[in-house]
Amino acid sequence: MHFKRTYTFVIGLVLLSSFAVIQSSDMTNPIQLLTTQTDYNVGYPVVLEFTASEGEKPLLYCSNSYGSTLVSAKAKNDTLQYVIPYNMTKKIGVVNWIVLDKNKSAAGQFNINPKAEVATMETYIGPPSIEAGGTDYTMLVVIPTDSLDNPVPTNTKVDAKFQFLNSEEKDAIFTKNLISYKNIYSKKESGRMLVSSESLGVNSKEFTINVWAAIPTDFKIMAKRPHNYADGNQVTTFNTSVIKDKQNNVVSDGTFVTFFITNGIGNILKTTGTTIEGIAYAKIIHPDFKDNWSIKAYVDGMAESDTITLNYQSVIEDFEVAFANKNREILVGPLQSFMKQMIPDGLHVKLLIYKDNLLVDTITKTAFNGYVTFNLKPAIYKNGSYNFSIETAGTHKTFNNKKLW
Amino acid sequence: MKETSNKYLISAILLALAFHGSAIFFTLETTYDALIHLFFADHYANNWFEPWNYEWYTGFTVQSYPPLVHQSIGLLSMIGGLKFGMFSVALIAIVLFVTGTYRFSLMMTANKTVAGYACVLAVFSSSFVETLHIFGQLPSIVGVSVLMHALPEIYLWLKTGKKWYLATSLSLIAVTVTSHHVTPIFGMVFFIFPLIGMVIMDVSREQVNTMKEVTFKLFLNSFFKLFKRIVSFGMLSLVLIVGCIFPYWLNSKANPITQVPIPHGSRDNFLEITSSGLVFFLIPWGILLVLLPYIFYRYYSKRYLFFGLSVTICTILGTGGTTPVPLKMLGETAFNILTLDRFTLWASILSIPLMGEFAYRFVEGDLKELIQSKFGAVYHRIIGGILAGLMVFMVVFTMSLNYFRPSQPQKIKMLPIVNFLNQDDHDKWRFLTLGFGDQMAWLSAQTNAMTVDGNYHSARRLPELTTRPIERLENSKFKGVAGIGSLQQFLTTPEKYNLKYIFSNDKFYDPILYFCGWQRLRQLENGIMVWERLNIPPVSSILPKEDVAKWLKIHWGIMPFLTVLIAFILNIQMLWVNMLKTRFKPIPEFLKFPTTYKKFNRNVLRITHIWSIILAIVVFYGIYLFYLKNDSQRSPENAIIAYYDALDFKEFEKAHSLIDPNNNIPIAQYMLEISVTDGLLSSYAKMDAIETEITKFNDSTVSAKVTTQWITPLEKIEKIDYKSLSKRKGKWYLQPDDLNNDLPPDQLYSANATKYYNQGRRRITTEATHHEDVLKQPVLEIVSAKLVHYDGSYAIIGEVQNIDNVPADVILKGTLYNDDNKQLATYNAKYHVKHKLMPKESSSFRINFEGIAWSKTQDSIPDTFNPDEFTPVEFEEQPTKFNLQAAGNVSGSDLYKNVVLSAITIKDSIIHGNLFNSGIQEITIPQLLITYYDANKNMVWVDHLFVKEGVRQQRKQDFEYQILKDGKVKIINSDMKNIFVNGLPNDAIADKVVPNRIENHSDAQLQKIDHPDFSYIKIEINTYIGSPN
Repeated sequence: MHFKRTYTFVIGLVLLSSFAVIQSSDMTNPIQLLTTQTDYNVGYPVVLEFTASEGEKPLLYCSNSYGSTLVSAKAKNDTLQYVIPYNMTKKIGVVNWIVLDKNKSAAGQFNINPKAEVATMETYIGPPSIEAGGTDYTMLVVIPTDSLDNPVPTNTKVDAKFQFLNSEEKDAIFTKNLISYKNIYSKKESGRMLVSSESLGVNSKEFTINVWAAIPTDFKIMAKRPHNYADGNQVTTFNTSVIKDKQNNVVSDGTFVTFFITNGIGNILKTTGTTIEGIAYAKIIHPDFKDNWSIKAYVDGMAESDTITLNYQSVIEDFEVAFANKNREILVGPLQSFMKQMIPDGLHVKLLIYKDNLLVDTITKTAFNGYVTFNLKPAIYKNGSYNFSIETAGTHKTFNNKKLW
Repeated sequence: MKETSNKYLISAILLALAFHGSAIFFTLETTYDALIHLFFADHYANNWFEPWNYEWYTGFTVQSYPPLVHQSIGLLSMIGGLKFGMFSVALIAIVLFVTGTYRFSLMMTANKTVAGYACVLAVFSSSFVETLHIFGQLPSIVGVSVLMHALPEIYLWLKTGKKWYLATSLSLIAVTVTSHHVTPIFGMVFFIFPLIGMVIMDVSREQVNTMKEVTFKLFLNSFFKLFKRIVSFGMLSLVLIVGCIFPYWLNSKANPITQVPIPHGSRDNFLEITSSGLVFFLIPWGILLVLLPYIFYRYYSKRYLFFGLSVTICTILGTGGTTPVPLKMLGETAFNILTLDRFTLWASILSIPLMGEFAYRFVEGDLKELIQSKFGAVYHRIIGGILAGLMVFMVVFTMSLNYFRPSQPQKIKMLPIVNFLNQDDHDKWRFLTLGFGDQMAWLSAQTNAMTVDGNYHSARRLPELTTRPIERLENSKFKGVAGIGSLQQFLTTPEKYNLKYIFSNDKFYDPILYFCGWQRLRQLENGIMVWERLNIPPVSSILPKEDVAKWLKIHWGIMPFLTVLIAFILNIQMLWVNMLKTRFKPIPEFLKFPTTYKKFNRNVLRITHIWSIILAIVVFYGIYLFYLKNDSQRSPENAIIAYYDALDFKEFEKAHSLIDPNNNIPIAQYMLEISVTDGLLSSYAKMDAIETEITKFNDSTVSAKVTTQWITPLEKIEKIDYKSLSKRKGKWYLQPDDLNNDLPPDQLYSANATKYYNQGRRRITTEATHHEDVLKQPVLEIVSAKLVHYDGSYAIIGEVQNIDNVPADVILKGTLYNDDNKQLATYNAKYHVKHKLMPKESSSFRINFEGIAWSKTQDSIPDTFNPDEFTPVEFEEQPTKFNLQAAGNVSGSDLYKNVVLSAITIKDSIIHGNLFNSGIQEITIPQLLITYYDANKNMVWVDHLFVKEGVRQQRKQDFEYQILKDGKVKIINSDMKNIFVNGLPNDAIADKVVPNRIENHSDAQLQKIDHPDFSYIKIEINTYIGSPN
């Protein structure tokens, strides 16, 4: 039972003690700063000294741009010493402090200044590709930093170095607001520019800027073909002259060129090519009938070529048609080309079938060994009288009132 | 009397473990459901108490499925991995099922031998075999097995009123609830209600001398006598059903299943769709079909009357859409949510005791005597042989179903995919699988990466998914236009879902991926092609989730195993008693009502005979019809269907055998001719329907007009072919088609091209890419853009040019606003743009605003799904302004430009033309972009055409394009103010690169057409290369 009494006693004591008032003297002297230095070099120890008062040891609150902390005092020979922690003194900038005594009587600030030494070069450059001609530019930003990763003092000299074609240049720029930067304008020529920077004997790594040619200017086109017959089989190749921009740089590889071909009846054909070393090649198959082409090439919205014309001569002036097997088998051929050789396989031959002057069906077949055979199946084409028209290579023949039975 | 071990039961358990236990290793992983349960198990193994899963459907809760089986697998996976867990649980399920049928049968028949027969036969019950080995429904099996264990306990509680039995029965009900939610609910109706009826019958029976004397009045009296027990049991089990999986019910209420019903085979008309009839009716019933008269006869005896009703209802409901009855009984909603095959499963399980009884009576009982005395011993043996043979056949047939008709693609090695996802932060984006089947769940179980898809469709949340009758995006090609339509909406706007990678196991989807702006990354060593889309932001590190209260999480995590634990403690004593006979125990009440097997009813035997004959006739008639339909050369129709089927499934040897042998085309030549045809139709189409119209000429020659419908990844194609067929020696053969004889001019030729390679990160490091390795985004220029309205739909059209010096991948995103600047719809350019542009290349584009583009998705989707059909409903929702964002990214792939428009003629508003392939790659699918201009050469519309055939190197391919029908295009807004390229204003960036643009430069080169509304067109060509080399 006596435990209970003990507990009551202890709890009573605790309760009583909370009402106790500590006597405080109102006659303390305000704390005063003794240290006069307000500028320190980064990385060096900073100690703030204050006048001491009556065994009081208030905390010192200090803050810089990275954060805040509390520092406790050390009493020494009637003075209070506050050692600012290293993680504050290793960052440059302003440090604000305030003594947390009753009246907050003392407050102030000191500066931590950068070292004039460079340990690393933080370098950024962009965009990594620009256009030749002197208007487009890329921006080099260099931030030399000391061993504590602080930017160096304002107006530290940074050498920006460029290599482009045959020239190697060096430009002095100076740090301001912690960084140094330079806009690098392209030259007239396209090519590759290497960029680096140096400050106080420390060099950055190498950066690459591609200077591409600007937009293309007008160009010429040419055509090459094995013969000028419209055999529907050989391939004509168009090519451009070397396409250049207005500074005479060859446009970048892969530039897309469209060749528009207007044929004899005004329809538009087209083929495309991409440049290699400024020259674009585009191919097109020969027409299978006599035609006149006028060709013009474009880089859409930017440049165009002259117009050239090509003529294709007809290879088949006439062909024979034979009907057999109740007129249900139609043999077209021989289809002969310009030297009387059999036309290469694949020439389209079209059979148009009319019944009562109405188009019933169109059958397209390809020539094989110079001939084409059409078989008119009795299940599809009932017995009766039909008109046939056979078209190939731009010519056609008509046969009226052929009876199928 | 000392009890002896039931040798039938022991042999049944051993047999089941040996047979099913070894078979599951070959079947379970290819079943429909097993891998889904594995995925859930993986979730529990990693986050036992956290119900939210981020990996599927942009997040869903696992509280949408009862957890016991999943948690068991998850717990066991700690020992030997997920698959170990799954197989262990499957083995436990097998044992539970066999012992469950034994106890159920014993209760029903009160005869240990009969129960022994029943459980041996249950091992080979085709419905069990199917549920386990084809469907893989482990929770369902565990649920129904435990329910069968519970039935004798319920009987004893109702009969004796001993509280101990109430406890045991409720404990088992609780386990059933936590393993499967549907089983106890319907189990109440189909198992427990008839059981209550039987108990009342038994109690009534005890008051009189024979069953005949049980009258309705007596029955009612007994019912009132037992009323308290029945009600107390009913109420308590209701409390358990709700309480044990309370979070499930809470979640169902919070997220009700408001989705468009997904078609399921069990709802089909089994006579029309015979494959569904086979899987959901014939197989689960199996040998029981023969015994149906006996089963109904026995179950409609007085004692079992209520079981009779239950079996009848289950049987009828199990017939699905064959008769209108199930729809009427269940109502529209329930009919469309429930899979009806479970009713057949329950009917077959209810029949198991009687199957045992029949077997007993046939093998050593009165039926044997009856048959032997009437027909002789040989007949008895033959019948026995036939029945046993049928049983074995059904088992073998069911087990091998997956072998002959695989429901899943070949097993995919997941390791390369898992490695790919782990590599280089690829799991920071969502992925999608195509053509994986249910194996996608296994992939999800192995990786932390998330997918937009999922495999548990009840948990889907995205309206894009729930408004479609699509189970998964993954297998959308099997769902026709709706499936492909749904998939392409995801492929067109993947940034909405942070979807960057697609693993494709099916080349069918390649064209749609390409034309939606995706590019091939590489093929993994397991043959899976990885596709990626550029300009997709990664998944944010904090994702939204629907959190639930902590107590619900703890409830969900603890309750299932708690029920098992309690059931174990309460029933283990019974188990010991039953299995090991350690202690004498009074005979259970239900053994006091044995049936005497003295005299088998002759009429039943007669009816069974007649029934069997009817069944046999039906089966043989079915086989005959099957033969008629499949004898490919019996009729010209059959020959054509067989030929097209063979082509569809790439069985060229079979196709060749249907070609008229008189043409003397050797298979080598035929294969050559087939192999040179490539393109959308021959390589990427799936035949949907075929219709033949035969014109007979004479008995041995016909011509046929064959109209085929093809589903391709890009569009639905109707194709009309004319074929002629000849009859040779009573068989019909097709005449071969003519070949295209086009002969290219060169044997060998060269082509130079600029190729690009993007290093990506130049340094091998997992750090963020160094800034100097980040390529500049290519500068694009939107040369023109306008908002137009044509033919009932809104679109942004215009022209985009790559004005940079490197090739660009182009993504165009359009947003529509109304007069109040309210955002109405946003969508990306899909088919109507060349997604890859060379330097200085331009492309016309059109952005459609399809169903999901609109903010009010639900409203804008029409009932009959057509992805291109969309109109805002309300008037104030009409768009008047637009915003266009173009993003360029450097891309070195799919830059083949060597395609030439080599001939063109226009006649009767049809454009005929030729494409010529001048390069060195085979073009698989050429696409034409046709831009329409008005009389002032103002661009007004963009249309497209996929040419059905490919173009081989140096060859021509003709095409035919129907010019659009009359219709004025209304230009709503052509203000170019709100256009941005890579986030910068279009005007400023364009002025800098091309200050002196020649406006409307190639206007002189537009093709004139004769049309009332349009005056000019421009044709651009885009190409898909199926296999670049």
